[in-house]
Amino acid sequence: MRNSFNEQLEQLNVELIKMGALCEEAISAATKALLERDLQLGERARVLEQEIDHKERDIETQCMKLLLRQQPVAGDLRAVSAALRMISDMERIGDQASDIAEIARDMEESRLSRTVPMAEMARAAIRMVTDSVDAFVRGDLALAHDVLREDDQVDQLFLQVREELIALIAAGENGSVCLDLLMVAKYFERIGDHAVNIAEWVEYSLTGAHKSVE
Amino acid sequence: MTAKIFRNSMVVGLSVFLLSVALFMGVLYQYFGTQLTQELQSEAVLVARGVESMGMDYLENLNLSNRVTWVDTDGTVLYDNQADPATMENHGDRVEIQEAMWGSQGSAVRYSETLSEKTFYVACRLSDGSVIRMASAQYTIVVLLLSMAQPLLIILVVTLILAAVLANRLSKRMIKPILELDLEHPEECNTYDELAPFLTRIRRQNDTIKGQMNLLRQRQEEFAALTENMSEGFVLLDQRGHILSYNSGALRLLGAAIPAPEANVLALDRTDAFRHSVEQVLAGCRNQGRLDRSGRCVQILADPVFRDKDVVGAVLVLVDITEREQGEKMRREFTANVSHELKTPLTAISGMAEIMKNGMVKPEDVTGFASDIYKESQRLIALVEDIIHLSRLDEGEDDLKREPTDMLELAKKVAGRIDPLTKQAGVSLAVAGAPFIVQGISSVLEEMVYNLCDNAVKYNHAGGTVAVSVSPKGKGGVVEVTDTGIGIPIQDQQRVFERFYRVDKSHSKEIGGTGLGLSIVKHGAALHDAQVELESTPGQGTTVRLIFPEE
Repeated sequence: MRNSFNEQLEQLNVELIKMGALCEEAISAATKALLERDLQLGERARVLEQEIDHKERDIETQCMKLLLRQQPVAGDLRAVSAALRMISDMERIGDQASDIAEIARDMEESRLSRTVPMAEMARAAIRMVTDSVDAFVRGDLALAHDVLREDDQVDQLFLQVREELIALIAAGENGSVCLDLLMVAKYFERIGDHAVNIAEWVEYSLTGAHKSVE
Repeated sequence: MTAKIFRNSMVVGLSVFLLSVALFMGVLYQYFGTQLTQELQSEAVLVARGVESMGMDYLENLNLSNRVTWVDTDGTVLYDNQADPATMENHGDRVEIQEAMWGSQGSAVRYSETLSEKTFYVACRLSDGSVIRMASAQYTIVVLLLSMAQPLLIILVVTLILAAVLANRLSKRMIKPILELDLEHPEECNTYDELAPFLTRIRRQNDTIKGQMNLLRQRQEEFAALTENMSEGFVLLDQRGHILSYNSGALRLLGAAIPAPEANVLALDRTDAFRHSVEQVLAGCRNQGRLDRSGRCVQILADPVFRDKDVVGAVLVLVDITEREQGEKMRREFTANVSHELKTPLTAISGMAEIMKNGMVKPEDVTGFASDIYKESQRLIALVEDIIHLSRLDEGEDDLKREPTDMLELAKKVAGRIDPLTKQAGVSLAVAGAPFIVQGISSVLEEMVYNLCDNAVKYNHAGGTVAVSVSPKGKGGVVEVTDTGIGIPIQDQQRVFERFYRVDKSHSKEIGGTGLGLSIVKHGAALHDAQVELESTPGQGTTVRLIFPEE
């Protein structure tokens, strides 16, 4: 009985890692689609988003089964409930990646995306997601805390991008492209926030303390 | 243990109990029997006397607990105090009566029909020949025992309880030193002598186990050392994807942190390609995959491990194929470039020859065409020579003879060879420095220095200078070629050593050259363990240094 429970917990873990990997892949595909105007990759990001949605439902069912049939306690219960929260954040990350890919597809030109530090923002956001998933995989509390710090950097970059876009519009650049880019920057910033959430849930599953609980 | 001791003490207790009861009863019974007979005898004598003096009246007035029977000489019963004499049968055949008739007294013992009673008879002959018989019954042992059943049972129960308690205490006391044995250090234990062979055996087995453990650990360390020193990554999985073993190469190639023990393999890497590979291999399919990780290209070779047709695990071998891939790419590019470079002069030659063949060239232009053809074919020859050179260097020909070569002399020789070119370009070339000896292939060394000087002259401004300085350093030395030419842009500085790489592709034809010069320098240097350093400022000039090792 316990054995099968442990097995199911581990299975849950593996599924979460896979979902995290899908998220990472989706963002990098969306970013490449944006910066290099690779439409195929944009399409891939949208496919991945659907896969992520599937995974979310699968993991949710798995968690529910675990909760109802095994009635976990203490650390195990925390792990399952943290998993339930993490998948919703991961799912949002997938959505945003797909949104970025969509904007990239409809954008008139990509020149401006290279003048503002969009690539840096993308890199920072991807790193945050990678780090938060890594923190989960390794159970690394320090790494989870790193993610919280990295968020400040992404926020900073968002403000910078915003100001540069304002300057560009003032200089008479294509306004609609600038607004699209602002949206993309906002999405990256949101992805960063979701990564922070994941990191917080990792912290919760490890220590039992969560910011929202305190 | 307790049960056994309990049983034993019970058996002992019970048998002692039973034996003593039997003995006791036997002795007592015997004693009482004798006592009873004597009593009966004296009583019989008394009664006999009474009867002799008083007759039947005595008997009738007698009040006795024992049975008294008066038997006449012919055996008929005259009187019995417990039964009606008329109903009684003739007693003449009774043993005790016959004995009394023959002698003066007789006695007998008879058991009743149910064996529950034993009757003692004593007979005494009167003077008239009749016999007085006294009888008294005694209970048999069985009946006696039965009547004592209650106290016996109580004693039995007490014995049981005592045996249980004692057995418990005894076994505890006996077991205590055994429980306190320190099996890790059996020889230090102070316990029953009877256990000594045991302890010796345990100590020996401990030693054996320790030895085997050490052996195992050693094997494992050897294995770890082996895998650690592999440049390839190595991961061993069980059938559920847990990491059983890995080496640091795997962590390095995957860029992963040290995984928790028994962690899932996805903790190492979770990219699509890796996951796919792992899934396939755990399903029993041998496969290969490729991972592109931050500029490094890693090949995964995944092999399932079978036992009785079931997948029990998998071996992942990770190989860094970045260099191989790059080498392959370079080779492909080289082939493409060579074909292109070879084709260009050939097309020109073929075109001009065709025009001449068709007689479309005026006789006075033939010389011009011929000189063009000559020039192009010269270029072709130079190119082919360079390619041959390079491929020789590539093969790392060892049969080329290594001999001590004076680099200063060699530089001067090169300066002499290149003199016509420098004059043509209006560049002055000077060789300076002190001689040093390199143990090397002089033709290759010369080609290297020549190529450097050739570049320095070719990519120079008119009126520029080229300085070749040779300076010894330890056992080795440095050959430095400095020009005041056009220089190389920073982004191209690494690439100029690639084959056919030209900084300014559009003007390459005017300047000439094959694009292989620096490549030859690089390979030649590698052959002599020398380093090539390049410093350049666009517009100001370039310095290339060949540093021969000091050892």
